[in-house]
Parts: sequence; structure tokens; C-alpha cells
Amino acid sequence: MAVVGLWVPPLAVVFVAVVLSIPVGRYLAAVLDGTLRVPRWLHWIERRVDTGSQNWKQYAASMLLFFGFTSAVGFGVLALQPHHPSFLNPDGKGALAPSTLFHTTLSMATNSEQQHYAGEVHLSYGSQLFVVLWTYFVSPAPGLAALAAVIRGLRGDSHLGNFYVDVWRTIVFIFIPFSVVLAIPLAAAGVPMTMDGAAGLQTLAGGTQTIARGPVAAVEAIKQLATAGGGYFGTNSCHPYENPNAWTNALELMLILLLPFAQVLAFGRMLRQKRHAVVLFAVMLVVLLASLGWCVYFDAVCPNPALLGDEKAGLSALPVDQSGWGNLEGKELRFGPGAGPAWAALTTSTANGSNNCMHDSLNPLAILGLLSSIWMNCNFGAVGSGMLTMLMYVILAVFIAGMMIGRTPEYLSRKLGPREMKLAMLALLVHPILILAPAGAAVALGWDAGSANPPGAHAFTEVVYEFSSASSNNGSGLEGLGDTYGFANNPDPAPYAVHWDVSCGVIVTLGRFLPIILMLALAGGLATKLPHPAGPGTLPTDSLTFGVALLGTMLLTGLLLFFPAAALGPLVEHLGPTAFVK
Amino acid sequence: MLCVDQNAWFLGSLMGVKNHLRANCWLLFLTLFVCSVVYAGGVWAIAQTLFSDKAQGSLVDKNGQSARSDKGAVGSRLFAQSCLDGDGNVMEEYFQPRPSAASYDGTASGATNWGPSNPALRKRVMAMLGPNLKYSNGRPIGPDIVHWVRERLQHDRAVLAQWVKDDTGLPERWASIKTIADFLAQWANDHPDDVARWHRDHADADKPKPADLAALFFDSYAKGESTVWPATHGYDIQTAFFEIWWHAHPQAHFEAVPADMVMSSGSGLDPHITLENAVYQLDRVAGKWAEKLNAPREQMAREIRALVETKKEAPLGRLAGVELINVLELNVALTARMHVLAPH
Repeated sequence: MAVVGLWVPPLAVVFVAVVLSIPVGRYLAAVLDGTLRVPRWLHWIERRVDTGSQNWKQYAASMLLFFGFTSAVGFGVLALQPHHPSFLNPDGKGALAPSTLFHTTLSMATNSEQQHYAGEVHLSYGSQLFVVLWTYFVSPAPGLAALAAVIRGLRGDSHLGNFYVDVWRTIVFIFIPFSVVLAIPLAAAGVPMTMDGAAGLQTLAGGTQTIARGPVAAVEAIKQLATAGGGYFGTNSCHPYENPNAWTNALELMLILLLPFAQVLAFGRMLRQKRHAVVLFAVMLVVLLASLGWCVYFDAVCPNPALLGDEKAGLSALPVDQSGWGNLEGKELRFGPGAGPAWAALTTSTANGSNNCMHDSLNPLAILGLLSSIWMNCNFGAVGSGMLTMLMYVILAVFIAGMMIGRTPEYLSRKLGPREMKLAMLALLVHPILILAPAGAAVALGWDAGSANPPGAHAFTEVVYEFSSASSNNGSGLEGLGDTYGFANNPDPAPYAVHWDVSCGVIVTLGRFLPIILMLALAGGLATKLPHPAGPGTLPTDSLTFGVALLGTMLLTGLLLFFPAAALGPLVEHLGPTAFVK
Repeated sequence: MLCVDQNAWFLGSLMGVKNHLRANCWLLFLTLFVCSVVYAGGVWAIAQTLFSDKAQGSLVDKNGQSARSDKGAVGSRLFAQSCLDGDGNVMEEYFQPRPSAASYDGTASGATNWGPSNPALRKRVMAMLGPNLKYSNGRPIGPDIVHWVRERLQHDRAVLAQWVKDDTGLPERWASIKTIADFLAQWANDHPDDVARWHRDHADADKPKPADLAALFFDSYAKGESTVWPATHGYDIQTAFFEIWWHAHPQAHFEAVPADMVMSSGSGLDPHITLENAVYQLDRVAGKWAEKLNAPREQMAREIRALVETKKEAPLGRLAGVELINVLELNVALTARMHVLAPH
């Protein structure tokens, strides 16, 4: 029974998401291709935002311009928090610190949703609705828009479409209707949706308890759907108001997967390359399931080693029964055993970043599994940008395989030249540079010792995780790292809060836009090349062989780069000597 | 001619920029209106109409009924709450929720974020074992720890210095209990000499923390000065001295505690404990009610066990393979049931 409880729920969720992604993928393709039949007044609105056909440079410029405007609005609303009208700020939240404003704005506007604040402590309802909720719609949409543009380039369209129209369609036809449908069952299960301030109670034992609440259900649905992942509350989906029972847990987990799955099928449909898309989907699914199995095994089957005995150190095992649950530190019971690491594996694979257990308290090898998913950033990845990362690996795989069989590499009947390979290699290198360079610098400058407790291998893991999460726009974190400044008048901020805010704010922005722009440039270039009919020397990209080559490329070029960091962090922590031996 | 061309290009790009600004403004305005007003307002209206109690946070009153407003509510069915008395002691008549790094604060959820290699984790679990652990025959070990420690100290006060040397976290753990912290503050007032000595050794610190005071107190006590051990129910000794006691009693056989009793939750607000945890606590709860109502202990245990059975929940319709108890709901039902049984 215990085995069933561990493995069946997450596998069932993945299965349902795979099945649902087929119709949703078809719908996504129809929306992005503009073949969906919509009422006339919506066309009128679409014409307001349409600036005409764009090439890749115009498309990228529009994306950056929109990012600038989004950030400005977000920053303004957050900065004005003490002046929000009282119905939008019933608990009287004060002014946020400048560095918190900087990091929060950029993190939200780049679909990272890395949080150096706690929602129920620091944000007013106005900030939650007009910054957090709003950016959960407008910051993932450019990712999906960019994917649509790249697909148009790959299929040789005369232009890449219009950025504003793509964003508008994504929000109105995909995010809004799905969110409405999903917010209702969440509210029915107990996720609050109120504009009343915190509830003050007399407890059974005669004490008092104040309970923060707010318009949570609306935020929760889009948070999971659009791979946003930032919590309404500080502890994200661990919090009973964000995730009241095991059914909402399963529903939210399914939502995390739905659009990342569907984007791959939409890609195949828009390109009329369904078999190719199925191969990509299968490769991603294999990695996703491997990550799921790894994390659940090492955290829910294996117990927390801190409570076990150690003969060499003369420690006896503590009389604590961990059977059936595994490591329970930082977990909630109501989702069932294994639900924490299962969610952790899937949320890091899809760059969602929400969590239903505290990642920092996971067993070290489970944390290694999460880091591996973040480093590869393409076992489905975020809505839109995950597929773009995958395309980068595909192009590398085509190139490597082409070299091995001695043919000019070509992808979708177009020859890959030096320009394409340079762009793909640059896109590949963005990620390790943005993670390893700052992690090395931070450790050299002693940020880890000043932020983490206690210093050592685990603190190093926390630093690497923080930058990995920022660079891949994941947003989850090992929250033992002290990175919160919070209110401007906070007398006792984390010592390195400003350092983390500024560095991660810059990294989320570069990590978001550099790869997307490089892929837009690549697609824009390919669009102008003449297609070649497939010949006997063409490497088919819809075969099992190609799938294996792709998997090898992902593991060797995407993961191996990070092995030294993995060895110094989670592997050292796992192998010991363990710090709990005084 | 050239000049005209340049003008046209300039005007053209100006128009382009204007177009972009216009499109951005439209998009910002439309999305703010559609997402933050229409969508959020729509979900709010539906939730408030169809599920108003849940939309307000699933509050319950003392009869276990849903409460619409916070007046008269004793908690939220989705939240754990502290079951400690004003002095910070465990209220034995209630089932205790899982440990919380957030002290069950509903306005600031939080976890320890301690990894397995953090020594604090094992230390915290050991501190929780003293008051909760039972021998394999079902008898609690707590009273034995108190008895043993008091006897040893009576016999030879100097042993305390050795204990502090063996277990360096001892003073801090002892001082973390509220009654002890209060006692230590009072003791510091009465012993200015000791505090002055501490200030001499720690010139740069401004004020001794409770843990520092505890170390001073232990030092003074071990030297046999006129210091008196505080009169407590022994919870402080069970918490702080379990490690020392266990070291001296390596042969003791225990009934292992369920992990959720000593491992803290992710939100600090987890409303559930496992069925095994509730059963483990049953003896203590029944004993306390038997004492309060002057009723036979076995009868109380039977009553409460039956109540626990009615409050069992199985996540995912038993698929998850575990059975849980909502602590607040159980405690509310327990209080109501005991009220009925109480002789008037």
C-alpha cells in the first residue's frame, strides 16, 4: 500500500497531463496561428495593439519595450504600496525597501517569480492583484509569443508575426479562460477569495491567532497554469490556503504540467512536424520521469539521515519511525507521502518554481535532482521559453550527429551554417555563465557564510541553487538563504539582502531575454534560407535514433558543465562527513 | 532630394515609435483591466456567492460549525494552532499539532529550512523526544528523566558542569522554555555579581541572552552556591536533559515516535497529524481528562479513542495509503464531548 501511495498519484497526474495536452496543444496552435473563430469586437481590440508584421529584430525590440513598460507599471504600483486605498490594503502594509522593489519587479516581469519577500507579510492586496496577479499573465505570455515567432521562422513564413497581437491572444484566449475554469474548484476546496483583512481569533487554548488571507484563488490558478510559481503566501503551495488538500495538490500539479506539455504538441502542429514533436516530447518525458523517480526515491523512500545512527561517530539512531513517509522535515501531511519531492521534481523541470515542501530540507541527493532539472531547463521548461531551450539542444544535436556521419547538418530542410551554430552555442553558454560565474564570485566574497546557516557544503548548494533558479527563471529557492530585506524600515534585514536582490535581479533579466533573442535571431536567419528537399544524407529528426542523440546532447552539453558544482554541493553533503557528527 | 528622403525616413520611424507606444499603452491598460479587475472580480463574486465560508478562510466556531466572521471563531479548519498555555507549557488535555518553525503564526508562515546536515535538526528532535517518548511497555520516559536528573543533582551538583561540557547545547535548550527564560531574568536581577562577571568576559556584547544566563546559572549552581533550581513541572528538564539521560541509559527500549510528531511542517501551519501520532498521544490526553473529570482513565481512553476513529481522514480516497487527523477538529470535538461527560 505504501508503494502505491508513493508512486501512483504523481504518475497518474503526469498521465492525465499528457492526455489533456493533446487537445490543449491543438487549441494553442489554433490561437497562435490566428485560426480560432472569435467574435468581431475582439478583432477590434486586436487591431488596437497590432503594429503590423515584424522581422526578428522588430519582434525582439517590441518584447523588450513591453518588458520595460511592464516593469515600470509593476515598480510604480509596488512603490506606492503605502498609498494604496484601504480596501486594497486592509492590513496597512508599508513601504518596501528599494532593493526588494528592484528584485521583485524584475523577477515578476521576467516570469521568474523568484521571491525575496513573503506575500502575506509584505504585500497589500493591491500589490497582489495589480502586480503579482497581473504579471502572472503578462510575463509568461511573451515566452509563448516568442515560440510562435520562432516557429514561423522555422517554417519559412515571410515575417514572424506581431508581438503585441501574440501576447494579447495568449492572455485572452489561453490564460484567462483556463484560469477561470480552474480557480473555481480551488475556491470550492477552500482557497480563500476575500478582500477582508486578516482574521483575529481566540483559539481553543485561550490564546490568539491572526490569520492572513486575501484574494488567493484567482492568483493560485494562473500561478500554476502559466509556469509563474510565486506564492501568494511566503511558503507557497505548502500553505493550507494555497493548497488545502490532496485533491487541490493533484490539480495544481497537473496545471503545472499542462501548458509546458501542450507547447511541444502545438509546436509540432504549427510546423506540420508531428512525428518530430512526438520524439521531442518523448525525450523530455523520459528526463522528467527520471527526475521524478530520483527525487521521490531519495527523499520519500530514503529517510532523513540526520535521525539515523552513525557508528563511526558513536551516534545511535533516534527512536523516530520514518517508515512510509521518508524525510518529513518541511513537508505537509495532507498531500500524502512522496508528494513533496514529486512536486519538487516537476516544478523544477517546468520552470514553474512553486513548491509544496521546503526544498532546503530535502535530502541532498533529491536537491541534486532538482538542480539537474534547472540546469538543463528543457524537460519541458517554462511556457514558450522551455521549448526554445529545447530547440537549442535540437540544433546542437543535429550538428553533432551531422558531424558524426559526415554530412552538412540540416534542420527542417534548411542547412545549418556557422551563423546558426554560433547563435545556438551562445544560447547554450548563457546559462552556465550566469550561474557559475556569480556563484563562484559570491562564495569568494563570503556571501554564503553571511547568509546561510550553517556554512559548508549545504550553504554552497544554497548559493548555486539561488543563481540557477534566477538564471533559468525558475523561481524556487532553498529558503534557508537569508535574502529578504522586506520593508524599507526593517531594522534587521538579512546581511546580504541587497547583494542578492541586485545580483539576482540582473540575472533573471539576462537569463530571460538573452536566450530568447538569440533563438529569434536564429529563426529569423533560417526563415530567409531556401529549403532543400530531404535526401539520402538527411538525418531524420523524427526517429528513435535522433531521440537518443538528443538525449545524449542534453546530458553531455547541458549537465556535465555543472558537475563540479554538483560535486562540491549536494554530493559532498550526501557522502559526508556529515555535519551532524558534531 | 536627399534631404527629403531623410525626412521621410525620420517621420516614418517616428510613426513607428508612436505605433509601438500606442500598442504598449493599449496592451497594458487592457491586460490590467481584464486580468486584475474583470477576472479577479469575477472569481471573487463566484467564490463569495457559492462558497462564502471557504472564501473567508474556512473558519470554525467552538461547536465545530463553519463561522462566517472571525467573531466567535476559534480557528480555521485548515490551520494548526498553538496548544500551549500562557507559560508556554504543553496543555496535556489537547492533542498537539506538529512542531512549527513559525510558532503557528497565521500572518507569517515559515519552515526551518534545515537540511539533514544541519546539527540543529537532530538537536531539536532530541529535545522533543524527552517530553513525548515512551518505553516499549507504553510508559512515558519523561518522569524518569526528571527523577534521575534531580537525584543526580541533589547527590552531586558538580555533575552539571560535566554535563554542560558533554552537551554544549544544554544551556540554550533549557533557556528556550518560556518559564525558564522568565526565571532566568529574575535570577539575573537577584545576582548582579554574576552578570557583572559575564560583562567583564564579554566586553563587546550589550546584554546577556537567556542562553548566556542559563550558562551562568549552571555555573553558579554547579559550584554549590546559594542558587536554587526553579520549581517546575519538569517539562524543562525533559526537554533539555534527554540527551544526557539517554547517554546514561543506553539500554532503554523505546516505542519509536511517529516522524510527524518531531519533524516540523513546510508551512508551520499543517493542520494534520498522522493517526499513529494521535494514538501515541492518546494516553497522555486521556490521563489528563481523567484527572480533570475525576473519571477512570480506561473509560476516558475508550471515549477518546472512539472520537479519534470518527475524525480519521484518508487523502485521495485512501489512494495515498495513510490516515490523518485534523487536530483542531479533533480538539473541538474532544472539548465538546468532555463537556457532556463532566459532572455538573
